[in-house]
Amino acid sequence: MLANRNLILLLIVCTLPIALIAALSSGPVSINLVAAIADGWHSDSSDAVILWQLRLPRAVLAIVVGAALGLGGAAMQGMLRNPLAEPALLGVSSGAALAAILVLYYGAAVSGYLLPLLAIVGALLAVGSVWLLAGHGASASRLVLAGVAINAFLSALMALALNYAPSMFAMQEIVFWLLGSLANRGWDQVLLALPFIVIGAIFLFLSRNYLRALSLGEASAASLGFSGRRYPLLVLFGIAFAVGASVAVAGTIGFIGLVVPHLMRPLVGQDPGRLLWVSALAGALLLLLADVLVLNTVGAQELRIGAVTAFIGAPFFFWLIVRSRQGGNL
Amino acid sequence: MIWMQLKEGRARYPNVTGKSLSGIMNSYREILIGLRRLLSISLGVLFPAMVSTPASAQERIASLNLCMDQLLLQWVAPEKIVSVTWLSGEKHYRRAPLPEHLYLNRAQAEELLPLKPDLVLTGQYGAQRASQRLEQLGLRVIRIPDAYNLAQLQQQLSSLQQALGELPGLRQQRGKLQALLEQAPETSSDNPRALILSANNITYGDGMLEHELLTRAGFTNLAAQQGVQQLGRVSLEQVIDSQPQLLVFYGGEQDFAIAHLAERHPVLREYIEAGRVYRLPQELGFCPALAAVEVLQQLMEKRKEIVGQP
Repeated sequence: MLANRNLILLLIVCTLPIALIAALSSGPVSINLVAAIADGWHSDSSDAVILWQLRLPRAVLAIVVGAALGLGGAAMQGMLRNPLAEPALLGVSSGAALAAILVLYYGAAVSGYLLPLLAIVGALLAVGSVWLLAGHGASASRLVLAGVAINAFLSALMALALNYAPSMFAMQEIVFWLLGSLANRGWDQVLLALPFIVIGAIFLFLSRNYLRALSLGEASAASLGFSGRRYPLLVLFGIAFAVGASVAVAGTIGFIGLVVPHLMRPLVGQDPGRLLWVSALAGALLLLLADVLVLNTVGAQELRIGAVTAFIGAPFFFWLIVRSRQGGNL
Repeated sequence: MIWMQLKEGRARYPNVTGKSLSGIMNSYREILIGLRRLLSISLGVLFPAMVSTPASAQERIASLNLCMDQLLLQWVAPEKIVSVTWLSGEKHYRRAPLPEHLYLNRAQAEELLPLKPDLVLTGQYGAQRASQRLEQLGLRVIRIPDAYNLAQLQQQLSSLQQALGELPGLRQQRGKLQALLEQAPETSSDNPRALILSANNITYGDGMLEHELLTRAGFTNLAAQQGVQQLGRVSLEQVIDSQPQLLVFYGGEQDFAIAHLAERHPVLREYIEAGRVYRLPQELGFCPALAAVEVLQQLMEKRKEIVGQP
């Protein structure tokens, strides 16, 4: 059994570079990948520019954002001890998106670190609100109720902010903020998000033992030395940094934070600490594969990546419901 | 390489009852062109006096169309205008000073009736209900045809002159356009290659005024060469791969939008730094009569610069 788990994990690790090659080979223009790699970063040839300046940053962003969302989902589920906890579902992504919309469309800063920072603040406020509203050890229904209410409210605020934004394109761009996209992204967006996602990952790494202790219950966690507000805040900041920075550059991409931790949990023996890293790895792989699918879908418009992840995530929800009806626990 | 053809066309003139430049399906356009012709014939047969009478004596002119607003504000004395659309008060569209006394209408017949205009100008598509109601109520309404190519632009200016009479600005604009069009387009296999990259990665192909301006100025429009009819979509990869000698952006909107991410991508920095870019003014999209002449002249100059480059 253990050998099987490790084999699956090894398979995920090995699939990531293959998916990366698939992503670098996908696009509207056919390029000679080997020649473009050989030409190097500084080459002026079209193939090299397409590879190094367009495809690689997009693929790296998919990996970074996917990892952040997987990590954020695993941390949220661990902290709230609830399998339905997911950044996009419970309004965390909407909080970040609302802050990003206010920063971008109302001219405070088009570039610079103010954008991810304020998105992180938005995410933090949203995740804090869900946590406070649902209360400690909330039931699945109360948590979902609190999250959906906050998500709905923040989504309405997003629509309002976009409706009154000075740009005439703003309102139609609600699709981007609700479904996400990696189109037209470059190294600048990668560099904008990466430092904050790394900080978020460090926060969550530091709180891995708290999440392990918390799986035994709050009282047990307190008896093991994880009392006080320090650790919950560390997790909240970790989630906000990872998810907030991701949303600021790629919009809201749902379901990765929900599906990935569920799929990975049996592989790590239900260990919430190890689940963080495995979810990050699988999240990166899932988003990269979703983007490969987007890149290879023919249509007048690029398919929104959030729609692809929802296609994967929604059936997973169905499976959760069916399983709970058959007597399993959610 | 697959160049994406958009199924939808785009309304050149924004609907005065809405904020966005919403698209018009191409199939509708054909029907509407047919209807327009039918309307022109009907008007010509039934109301010859109304169509042919110059309106230079009009003292109270109202407009239900953004482009007509701007043309009136440019060429007609302000005291002769009583109302323009609310869009003309928006900073996105305002190109001429807006006199304070003007009523900004939202294309409702009841707004215009109390103003007692003796001439109401409207476009080909928008505000049709209001203009029909005003006609039924006895007001003089003239529909000025839209312009989707240079021939239609000449026709539009001619119709406008017929409706408003002799106006120096209008006459001058017609003359300039005529002179530019009489210059034979420089067609050569060595024509520099150009590609339009507009908001949301949209490009302009055959059948669009923007394409005609490029080709008239002596460029080869890469989108049209790749078979794009009217509007199409072009990715940044395709821009880099097709290596245009001139990259043409559209509109000078400074407000942030995801729609402008492509043109702000660092991969295009080389084009911008080398001066191999040209920016079509936004008004070309909603009122070509305001900008087409100037754009054609500037594109011709840009071509000379590029051809002259070693």
